[in-house]
Amino acid sequence: MAQHNIRTVIWFEVGRNVTKPRFWIITLIVPVALMVVFALVFLSSSSTDAASSAQKNAHITFQYRDLSGIVDPATASKFGGTATSDATAAIAAVKAGTSQAFFDYPADPATQHIKVYGADKDIFGNGVYASVATSLLQLSAQEKINSPQLVNIASGNLNTTSVTYRDGHTAAGINGVIAPMLYLVAFYLVILLLGNQMLASTLEEKENRVTEMILTTINPTSLILGKIVALFVAGLLQIVVFAVPLAVAYALFRKQLNIPTLDLSNLVLDPQQMIIGALILIGGFALFTGTLVALGAIMPTAKDAGPIFGVLMILIFIPFYIVTLIISDPTAPIVQTFSWFPYSAPVTALLRNAFGVLPLWQGISIAVELLLLAVVVLRVAVQLFRYGSIEYSRRVSLADAFSRTPRRQASSPPQ
Amino acid sequence: MDFAARTVISDLSFDVKRGETFGFLGSNGSGKTTTLRALLGIYRPTSGRLLIDGEPFKPELAHRLGYLPEERGLYKKESVIDVMTYFGRLKGLGKLESHRWSMEYLDRVDIGDKAKMRVDKLSGGQQQKVQLGVTIMNQPELLILDEPTKGFDPVNRRLLMSIIDEQRAGGATVLMVTHQMEEVERLCDRIILLKDGSARAYGTVAEVQAQFGDLTVAVDHVGAAVPSSAHYELLDTENGHATLGVQNGADLAAILRGLMDAGVTVTRFEPQRKSLDDIFVEVYGSDEGEQ
Repeated sequence: MAQHNIRTVIWFEVGRNVTKPRFWIITLIVPVALMVVFALVFLSSSSTDAASSAQKNAHITFQYRDLSGIVDPATASKFGGTATSDATAAIAAVKAGTSQAFFDYPADPATQHIKVYGADKDIFGNGVYASVATSLLQLSAQEKINSPQLVNIASGNLNTTSVTYRDGHTAAGINGVIAPMLYLVAFYLVILLLGNQMLASTLEEKENRVTEMILTTINPTSLILGKIVALFVAGLLQIVVFAVPLAVAYALFRKQLNIPTLDLSNLVLDPQQMIIGALILIGGFALFTGTLVALGAIMPTAKDAGPIFGVLMILIFIPFYIVTLIISDPTAPIVQTFSWFPYSAPVTALLRNAFGVLPLWQGISIAVELLLLAVVVLRVAVQLFRYGSIEYSRRVSLADAFSRTPRRQASSPPQ
Repeated sequence: MDFAARTVISDLSFDVKRGETFGFLGSNGSGKTTTLRALLGIYRPTSGRLLIDGEPFKPELAHRLGYLPEERGLYKKESVIDVMTYFGRLKGLGKLESHRWSMEYLDRVDIGDKAKMRVDKLSGGQQQKVQLGVTIMNQPELLILDEPTKGFDPVNRRLLMSIIDEQRAGGATVLMVTHQMEEVERLCDRIILLKDGSARAYGTVAEVQAQFGDLTVAVDHVGAAVPSSAHYELLDTENGHATLGVQNGADLAAILRGLMDAGVTVTRFEPQRKSLDDIFVEVYGSDEGEQ
């Protein structure tokens, strides 16, 4: 019976969520914005590449004076340049429009500016002069070095491979952070996207005066469990909708959008981190959900619940103010406080877990703390809903709600 | 039953027999809704017990129960048919059965064309009809109605009463809170009058009427005047009309025979009791005035 009712609630809640235009507007607004940004980046990138390429390949005629002695006359000639020693005359020729450009290379181009004079080609077109001037100097310098290897080294095009060890084993580094960090991302997405809905889920029964009808039809525990599962399903759907444009962009437009290659083979999945992360995520989700449901049961309207809801949201962001400390000194008192205080624990512990600075015993303890507290809070939430939500228009005190708890009644009269 | 330091219900005892229609009467604030909520486990009685079929309320009873609360409400942003199907499913009906029953009911109460509309787009009376449908869709054995006709116009009130009649005819036990005395007199087998959380009267309608005064008999006659008798008190007599005060339980046939034997030609012999309306005013008149 209870399972049938939970399924019915899930079906109803998910159905009415996903059939609402508001759900899809909220869900699609971020991916659509992302796609617009991607499209703009793509267009900008294409036009920038084209402009850059056009400028590099642009052939102009110019005069140049080289006080550094680096510029190779033959190379300069290929670029369309003619050497001159009279800068004043060359500048006058540019002014008069008889010469396209004049480049004045100083004695030390490494510390002094190269002066470029040219006929105006509008803001973007003028870039061609600087581009040709620097290209000519770079090419001449490379020819002087006469070694591709040295040129590469001098250009800083160097690659390194780091191997570090922890406890006698090769440390995973950033590759070990990515997978457990996804738990934190999931926690944020679910709470930020669904927090309001969690709050509204029980407020709605009050605001619509459905409480009495529903309480005499279904066990409140089944109702609230059904609502939580439905919210989770809706959240998963939203995450999938968010992920689709990212996946499409990665698969089809990775180069154009300059998205770095994601080599999954390098990802390190540490079983301990993944299990602890999953437990903390579930515990954190259950705790926040239970708290928001309880809040909805106490408060008469969403507006009244707003301030407390705001505090809960702040608590999941506060740990980021000390993120450096969390990673570098996890034993600091503030980090420990945030790790154990239930409403900042999920974010702090998930961060520490991702960076490998959460000892196993602490990870298990925090997960157990969150799960136990979640059970308590969920029971309180059910109790508040059962005996508090009947107060439609006023805030319910905990004492009031609990004083209405039914004692076990005897089923037959006392003898 | 206490709320904070205030006693809302005290020393209240009643039973509702299977298959009967039981009326719960009382002025505003007399404790009717609180008693129903305690019966349904929404409030905790400070002392005493409220049992349904020998057991305290539990949600598992939902399949056998229909409750129309005083505070009406439905999921306002959902369609009528979705809400009805949802409650039908929760009350143990299959999805198709629930859908089919809902459509038939909506047609019957003349809002079949509103099935796909959002609940908040319906008028107050139409929402009431939907809510009543939700209440009875599982063919409940026990129907608890808290002011069922509140918000209905006379036409729809008649429709509603006929639906309740059908439930009674189908064997449902009906427990009804109402201020409509004509409904009580027409529907209820037994009633209880609550005042300040206590029973002021309890029994069949006739028994309650009897508690609030003896029977009177209006007599129209020709011929001889109505004589005095040990079986009645002659309250009033003039121009062929007399009013007799009769003790409860008196033999009315014997009184009529006595009149005829005394040469009185009786053209009308009508026993009269104090109406429930009069009783209500008598019991709650001062309360209503204060409110």
